[in-house]
Amino acid sequence: MGLNTYSVAVRDRLTGVLVAAVAVAVMLWFTLAVYSDLDLSFYYDNMPPSLLESFGISTEAGGLGGLAYGAMYNLIGALALAGLAIAIGAASIAGEEQRGTLGLLLANPRSRSRVLAAKLAALVTLVGAGALLLYAAGHLVPRLMDIDIGGLHVGALMLHLGANALLWGMLALAVGAWTGQPGLASGSAAGLMVLSYLGSSVLPLLDGGDTAAKMLPWTWFTETAPEVNGVSTGYLALQLGACAALAAIAFVGLRRRDLRSGGSMTTLMDRLRANPRTHALVERVSGQARVSSITTKTVSDHQVLTTIVSALALYIAILMPPFYTFLPGEVSEFFAQLPDAMIAMVGGVDMGTATGFLQGEVFSITVPIALIVLTATVGAHALAGEEEARTMGLLLANAIPRRAVVLHKAASMVILAAVVGLVTFLGSTAGVLLSGVDVAVADLAATCVLVTLLGLDFGALAMLVSAATGRVRAATSAAAGAAGAAYVLQTFLPLSDRYDQWAAVSPFHYYLGSDPLTTGMPWGDAAVLAGAFVVLVALAVPAFQRRDLRG
Amino acid sequence: MSEPAIKTTRLSKSYGDVRALVDLDLSVGPGEVFGFLGPNGAGKSTMIRTVLDLIRPTRGSAQILGMDSHTDAVRIRRRVGYLPSDLALYPKLTGRDTLRYFANLRGGVDWAYVERLAARLQADLDKKTSDYSSGNRQKVGIIQAFMSRPDLIIMDEPSTGIDPLVQQEFQAMMRDVAHEGRTVFLSSHTLSEVQRVADRVGIIRDGHLIDVERVHDLRSKAIRRVELVFDAPAPAEDFARIEGARDVEAHDTSVRLAFDGNMDELLQVATGRHHLVDINSEEADLEEIFLAYYRGEEARV
Repeated sequence: MGLNTYSVAVRDRLTGVLVAAVAVAVMLWFTLAVYSDLDLSFYYDNMPPSLLESFGISTEAGGLGGLAYGAMYNLIGALALAGLAIAIGAASIAGEEQRGTLGLLLANPRSRSRVLAAKLAALVTLVGAGALLLYAAGHLVPRLMDIDIGGLHVGALMLHLGANALLWGMLALAVGAWTGQPGLASGSAAGLMVLSYLGSSVLPLLDGGDTAAKMLPWTWFTETAPEVNGVSTGYLALQLGACAALAAIAFVGLRRRDLRSGGSMTTLMDRLRANPRTHALVERVSGQARVSSITTKTVSDHQVLTTIVSALALYIAILMPPFYTFLPGEVSEFFAQLPDAMIAMVGGVDMGTATGFLQGEVFSITVPIALIVLTATVGAHALAGEEEARTMGLLLANAIPRRAVVLHKAASMVILAAVVGLVTFLGSTAGVLLSGVDVAVADLAATCVLVTLLGLDFGALAMLVSAATGRVRAATSAAAGAAGAAYVLQTFLPLSDRYDQWAAVSPFHYYLGSDPLTTGMPWGDAAVLAGAFVVLVALAVPAFQRRDLRG
Repeated sequence: MSEPAIKTTRLSKSYGDVRALVDLDLSVGPGEVFGFLGPNGAGKSTMIRTVLDLIRPTRGSAQILGMDSHTDAVRIRRRVGYLPSDLALYPKLTGRDTLRYFANLRGGVDWAYVERLAARLQADLDKKTSDYSSGNRQKVGIIQAFMSRPDLIIMDEPSTGIDPLVQQEFQAMMRDVAHEGRTVFLSSHTLSEVQRVADRVGIIRDGHLIDVERVHDLRSKAIRRVELVFDAPAPAEDFARIEGARDVEAHDTSVRLAFDGNMDELLQVATGRHHLVDINSEEADLEEIFLAYYRGEEARV
């Protein structure tokens, strides 16, 4: 393959796509192993076909595959590929612009449109390759395990899943093309994706919510259960149409904008600083404070991301308790009939109770994802970020031991995670008190403390990898992969008598394993989570001290 | 304080098979401006980063201000200012905030002195560093290296992007430091920059320290490219005979040659037999000086 904008962009990310696909394949293996251990005939004999259908399980398709595929690909596989697509999309234009290499690229006889077209083609290729790999894994894993998945439309599932990932990647690319801000591009695309995912699961439970849910891209992907019913032409057209529209928006944005030469965002603070009347005040408030120590500087570096993550957590936390009171009574009955394996598929909770609903919609996936995105970003950038930006040499030219740098960065991570934990607690408490739902505030507090500790564990893991390798992408990938695997372990292993003790290796086990929303604070589990954080940070110190620094 | 500011003993750094530094023995005294000269990739930055404990030597050791570069790294840094090559700063901070940040981390920085340095270099501290020109970014880097009045200032190719007027002021700042008995260690790949400010020069190539010379001696060894213009054509042979003249070419009324001999002799020939109209002399590039060095080494053997 010759070197051009397209091939360089593809080559840069191909390994990431491959790793993600292998990781998802391994997790599929896991899930299938657990499900093949269950006696499924109970479900098929005792449950009405319509109920099974609504969960995307066809009686003809043998069931087992349906459950495992639905659980793995509709959530973990889809999130993994979409997350990768967002990272690629955000890096395409905005990433190069921030690094200052876009100007170099455009100094060659290439129009902006042509560069963008090459980047778009690379994004499509990579997402396509990812979907293809998942498709291959989807056939290979069951064959190796000798499980019959006849009747399942793996191809149709991958088509919708790939189109879904492409859509979020295109959104990130378009935002990046308009703003030149990779952080904003990936943040907004990921935020909208999570909201869309949540909306597509919650809205249909409400009267008249179906129509609203149909507006959400995640619904276009999952609603018709393509693994059972095959390709839905209408929804696929919607997905691809949205991709095309976002691509067009990206072209328009990039063509009409002044490009930066490795610049940064102009914030409100900057405007106030530029104004002579407010200059002195801003200097006193922001200038001095944010550079007073490594901890405060690091905290202020991640202000924007923390604000976005906190806002998302607050929004979900306030909204969901009242939402529960709007649910029609049939929902509780419906969930009361569900077997455990299906409850696991929707996040391992009984949505028929207030605590179960809160756990499912707020605490089991959304807030952990939001927190881990923040802590993993802080942890990965803490050491490797400064190395990659070549500021670590300057920082260490001061009389600061490397150990202190690690500890300062860890301290800022604790502060930032605590902010999100606190906001989640305040939001969910407000939501619970406003709606009068039966959840104890003390139990909410316990859960928020636990989720903060959980986020810190994965942040510390990112920090350890960051300290040992000096590479941001390695650190974030490690934390994200570990989080996905840990989630799957805790959700599915307890279903099987043979594997259930193994769930104890997952940090998620110490977070929700004891059902803290109803039983309160499990002090032992909290100690395990806190201890893991301390150990990981303690390991990061020698890893960082022993290494030749990059840059 | 009589101990050397920098003393390396058989300092070596290898990356796999690549030997970036080989048995470097170097001593830089207090109150000295020392130039570290070598082409790109010679090992200048590797040496500096090793001495600052950013990377660790494969073999050998370095003493900075009498302390071991690894075990006393933090105590050393309290007394050392550092400007990395290819400087990168925090894009979201202004120049002033960047300096405040480092001043806070260091402690004991006299802010009035920072303002004086900024004025001397005509540095604009109000904009975000991402909006700076490379010259202004470099000025912020220089100020942070000088601002704590360290006993030793280590700078890796510090003049990058700075215009000639500011360079003069910068050189004056370096000499001020030396007058106060403090030490400046700067790396460069241009001889002229080092010549103007340094007392001694170490020459490094492919990881080997080839020689350490007083600048005065180096200058006398340096090859120059000389162009002589006469009012009438002059024969090349007249000049080819002078000791130290090479590659003599006569073209129309001008004669061009590479020269590392005695300038007196050259001028005697030029003015004695011909009518000299113009003379143009510029230093040869580093590679030619190295070649001259190697020729010298071979001749001695």
